[in-house]
Amino acid sequence: MRPVFGIVVRELVRFWRQRGRVLASLARPFVWLIFAGAGFATVFTGAGEIDYRRYMAPGLLGMVVMFGSLLAALSTVTDRDAGVLRMVLVAPIRRSTVALGKILGATLLGTTQAVAVGVILLSLVQLWPGPQSLLLALAGVVLSSLAMGALGLVLAASIRSIENFAGVMNFVVFPMLFLSGALYPVRRLGSALQALVYLNPLAYGVDLLKHALLGGWRGAGYGGELPLALDIAALVAFAVAGLLGGAALLAREGGVTRTAFRGGA
Amino acid sequence: MTAPAIEARGLGKDFGSIRALDKLDLAVHEGEFFGCLGPNGAGKTTTVHLLATLLKPTRGTARVAGYDVVRDDLRTRRSIGLVFQETTLDRDLTVEENLHFAARLWSLPGRLAAPRIAELLGQFGLLERRRDPVRALSGGMRRALDVARGILHQPRVLFLDEPTAGLDPRARRSLWELIRQLRRASGLTVFLTTHYVEEAEPCDRVAVIDGGRLVALGTPAELKRAAAVNSLEEVFLARTGHPLAEPSAA
Repeated sequence: MRPVFGIVVRELVRFWRQRGRVLASLARPFVWLIFAGAGFATVFTGAGEIDYRRYMAPGLLGMVVMFGSLLAALSTVTDRDAGVLRMVLVAPIRRSTVALGKILGATLLGTTQAVAVGVILLSLVQLWPGPQSLLLALAGVVLSSLAMGALGLVLAASIRSIENFAGVMNFVVFPMLFLSGALYPVRRLGSALQALVYLNPLAYGVDLLKHALLGGWRGAGYGGELPLALDIAALVAFAVAGLLGGAALLAREGGVTRTAFRGGA
Repeated sequence: MTAPAIEARGLGKDFGSIRALDKLDLAVHEGEFFGCLGPNGAGKTTTVHLLATLLKPTRGTARVAGYDVVRDDLRTRRSIGLVFQETTLDRDLTVEENLHFAARLWSLPGRLAAPRIAELLGQFGLLERRRDPVRALSGGMRRALDVARGILHQPRVLFLDEPTAGLDPRARRSLWELIRQLRRASGLTVFLTTHYVEEAEPCDRVAVIDGGRLVALGTPAELKRAAAVNSLEEVFLARTGHPLAEPSAA
């Protein structure tokens, strides 16, 4: 377990050193709350049933988890570029241990950021969940972070260079956010888009958070659209699949070095 | 003589249709300073990566420190240190943090890691820079830290893959001095790859590799005698029919 601990500690230290990243991650959801919240509130048809900013809260927490955890795991790409990944892969540990360390580090970062944001966010939108709901919300944050971290690792292990990073942001991160139910209920989307929603781990995380935080509006259809058990099962499945997939991708030949593919320059 | 520290039998590797390493047979003895000399693209790094379990052989077998590199990859990796061509340090972490990170990766218990790290920092002249981020270090110091990281867990075999690439002459000399002291103190087996002839001269034995093939093997003196020439450079020319290309800016 010491290697896993080592990998996690490194992730935390690196994150903490990048103050800009810390601040951005904490400020981002509030920027969305203010600006996207103001705009979407005017077209939100459920306005008589629930305040739009309150409706956004679980989705914004999901967003914090996504940026926190997914981006942390995606840092594996920079590790490869900087060569650090080689130090990790030449250590006498299994690739699954490396994957586990990366995913747990990402989970811890995603969860911490979501909890920090959550404390302020929930008071801003005046959501006061009881202890049980808070616990469920915490579980939702942890599970979503796990699933997001696992997805990030798989992406990082699949993309070979840092140049593809922007592509990931545009074609993975934003679609995932918009197809998660974070900003509008999933049931109002067309069936093709709804199908995509079910492939999106973030959607299950946001739905779980709605169960936890918007339970009072369940009757009106805002307190989670899928069964709670399905949300949990899907997130666990994504996390496990990502762990195994990430480990397998890391174990691929040439996962270690770029020079290896050049036939040993 | 004990079992060889490194033993390769018909070891080879293809990348698609490119034959990076053909069929390598060699045995490196415990405590030996073994050089692998050849131009860029000769198959040196491929050899090191095969022996370090980072690549799977296409053919043949290899044992390092007595372990089969395919079947016993974890134990092989535990027994070796590897200094890559390009640095593997985390430039955002401090010198000390990099070593602690490595110590955890190698599962060194904290009570052993702390004194070992202090010892290495002293030995490699990094004690005063231990709280500096690696990005603030000179190339020579980074390389020294790479080597310190490589021997942190006291491996039996140390692979140095073109360790002086990109270093200025002074940093090179001090690196070789470090390696010399290390070998004297611990009897460590060192497997060096290089395309600099002068770096292969002090080796106990040298394997000359070209185009994925072993073209000569012996002590520097034997190789020169056999080819009836005065330098390893000429040995290379005599064996391959072409000069060992002058190193480009590596």
